[in-house]
Amino acid sequence: MVARDRLEQLREKFGSAIQRADLPDGSRLFVFVDPAAVKRVCQYIFRDLDARYVISIGADDRPFSGKFVVAHDFAFDHDHLLCSVLTYLPADCPKVDSISDVVPAASWAEREMRDLVGIEPVGHRYLKRLVLPDGWPEGVHPLRKDVSWDHVPKDFNDEHEFTFDEPPEGCTVVPFGPFHPTLDEPAHFRLYVEGEMVRGCEYRGFMAHRGIEKMAESVLGYNDIPMLAERICGICGCVHSVAYVQAVESAAALQPPPRAEWIRTIMLEMERLHSHLLWVGLACHIVGFDTLFMQSFRIREPIMWITEKISGNRKTYALCVVGGVRWDITPPLKVELRAVLDKLEVEWRAVVAAVSKDKNIQKRTVGVGLADPELVKNTGLVGPVARSAGVDIDCRRDHPYAAYDRVDFNVITADGCDVWSRLLVRMSEVFESISIIRQCLERLDDGPLHLPITEELPVGRLGLSSVEAPRGESHHFVITGENNRPRRWRVRAPTYQNLQAIPMMIKDQQIADMTISLGSIDPCFSCTDRLETIDLRSGAVRVWTQRELLELVRTKRGKP
Amino acid sequence: MSHGAISAILGGIWNVGFVLLLAPFCQGILRKVTARVQSRQGPPIWQPYFDLLKLLGKEDIESGESPSMQRFAACLSLSAVLTVAWMVPMGFGAPMNGAGDAILLIYLLTLCGVCTLLAGLASGSTYSLVGISREMMSIIVLEPLFAIAIVVGAMHAQSFRLETVLNGSAYATSGFPWSGLIMLGVILLSFQAFVQRVPFDISEAETELMEGPLMEYSGPKLALFKYAQMARLVIYSALFVALFVPWGSGLAFPWNGLVFAAKLFTLVLLVTLVAATHARYRIDQLIRYVAGLLAIALVALILASYGH
Repeated sequence: MVARDRLEQLREKFGSAIQRADLPDGSRLFVFVDPAAVKRVCQYIFRDLDARYVISIGADDRPFSGKFVVAHDFAFDHDHLLCSVLTYLPADCPKVDSISDVVPAASWAEREMRDLVGIEPVGHRYLKRLVLPDGWPEGVHPLRKDVSWDHVPKDFNDEHEFTFDEPPEGCTVVPFGPFHPTLDEPAHFRLYVEGEMVRGCEYRGFMAHRGIEKMAESVLGYNDIPMLAERICGICGCVHSVAYVQAVESAAALQPPPRAEWIRTIMLEMERLHSHLLWVGLACHIVGFDTLFMQSFRIREPIMWITEKISGNRKTYALCVVGGVRWDITPPLKVELRAVLDKLEVEWRAVVAAVSKDKNIQKRTVGVGLADPELVKNTGLVGPVARSAGVDIDCRRDHPYAAYDRVDFNVITADGCDVWSRLLVRMSEVFESISIIRQCLERLDDGPLHLPITEELPVGRLGLSSVEAPRGESHHFVITGENNRPRRWRVRAPTYQNLQAIPMMIKDQQIADMTISLGSIDPCFSCTDRLETIDLRSGAVRVWTQRELLELVRTKRGKP
Repeated sequence: MSHGAISAILGGIWNVGFVLLLAPFCQGILRKVTARVQSRQGPPIWQPYFDLLKLLGKEDIESGESPSMQRFAACLSLSAVLTVAWMVPMGFGAPMNGAGDAILLIYLLTLCGVCTLLAGLASGSTYSLVGISREMMSIIVLEPLFAIAIVVGAMHAQSFRLETVLNGSAYATSGFPWSGLIMLGVILLSFQAFVQRVPFDISEAETELMEGPLMEYSGPKLALFKYAQMARLVIYSALFVALFVPWGSGLAFPWNGLVFAAKLFTLVLLVTLVAATHARYRIDQLIRYVAGLLAIALVALILASYGH
């Protein structure tokens, strides 16, 4: 068993610093290490054993063990193994060595840990706030267990403006966002521009942090969370709901019935189809080729209709519960789905033929937004961005879940490292998805849709799950808990890693390439802010704050 | 008042009216055909008229650094295009024959581009500034192309008089000289850039610069800019017809007008189809592309000076 081999390697190298280990099955490894050894262990796993960095998690475990927990998750993709390096920190001194100088990809996760749980990454080089707004007072950490989910500190100043870094000398600042027609979601890039060339940028995001994890850990129950998880993202919602239930199932050692696994696979692939078609369309729109954008969306529409027939909704399928699924695919639906796929395949071939021959699109995308294998490794990039750099990773094959171990498909890679390669990868993956769905429909066994779960789920267990979203790996980490809800649930969407590479991808490129470079990772942010009204008679300008707007919506009074 | 002056004024008014009436219609055709290519229903063909009327009726909001300059730029952009309309034959002879020559025409065409620069500069937002820096670069390489086309025509016609130059002078009277044919190709290949459509709508690039120089404009001022842009399509098409496809303009009324309209709509259709099947260029790609054309145009100019 590879998991056991890896554990032996760690024990041999670090001896007693490895306090204990847990191997629930051959595909998961939990190693508990001494806080002083965390950095060395992570360096060894990341550099010498060449594992891929996934995410770091901070958790407040004081009510249970009296300590804080930090976990660094890694993936051994060739060994089909997900590994978590955990360490307990004393309640009075939540400090841990930062791993971001040996694992650069951990930079954001450690900043987030500091903001939300108050665990100090010692030695981190850029400790600017990531998630919390600048007007939030020091010392209040929303994800700690003694802070309630709706707590707003008295001295929170929501009018406080962001403090920005100084731009380098000789550069002007071009603000990109918070609202930009090609983003459609709030994120703010301050581009440092010299003429038409971008020399660097600063990113401020997390403008609409919705507190989803806190909500799940303090208010909701195990089977409410899939519905909430689905709302994390408007494009790959089903991915998050599957990843969450799988993490819980893996923690509680539950095995959903085969029919549920087939149906999950079908719906995940349907989601990939709609997402890939949407993205190829958007990419064409960004470079000004609106005809392909419109055609792509026209071809995509029947997918939305058939998922509406299956689940009652175009996009938010509400498919999963812990231990199974809620919707069945009946024989008439099967027939209809097959017809949709046949038509899609023919039409998509025409689009692929048009795009691959188009010199014009190649002009705008070849050599643009470069992410080479080294950047992929260091920043932990996933999905089509990694595959287009020749890095052959795909969770469906490397960490099989649902019914992916029972179907045949190819992992598409390219080696251009640029936007054009990403386009080619995603266009070809559509055909693989069609083939996977056909195989599933062929072999969909009869049987129950979900497990009867009658007892409380075990408490204090760890669960990891990686699901290949259309844009890359979505990773969920769960610690099961009391009151029918998890103690800690950490979501890492693919954009979390991919976005960190944007400053490197757009450096020394033209402004014109900024949108397509950013678009090529298919970024996913979320929404809200403020707006301005002007009184016509007096000409007075009034800025509506977020709070006033909410008030306005709720009370329907004081119309502007 | 002499007979000539009256006919010039009447002809000018006819031309201006013709451009104002026809420009939104051409835009309507463009949008409808684009929609058909994209498997869409598309807006009614009269939609651009309604759009302009709606914009004209809106409140005139002043956002930007120097409002008076912005208003001036908006008015100038449309009036510059309409002044060109006085000098270009629209199915009939050019009305302002005696008053201006081909050199003035070249100046006025450049003025249309300068208006966009003014508009962007006066509004002073970052995106506008990036937009006008692109506009400026493209004007520098683009404007010489049409100037060369006109000068080549003037050389063949041995005159800078408008009615001689704008009457198929690219080919002179002596069959098809090489220089004329070369310029025909060059102008056809760069036509999208003159009328500011994809793949060369770089200075406005909605998905990159959010309309660039026009970003701060709304209401009546935006209507004037939009109107000017629609008129540009008609004017440049008319210029193209006058220089390169003169056949049939000598026919009797109303046939000359009908033949002209047919040629105009063919060009609009061509512009639409090219725009619908291309991705936008980057500014450096545009400059490289046009610089190549410029080199070819210079060869044509040399050939023309030797009478070929």
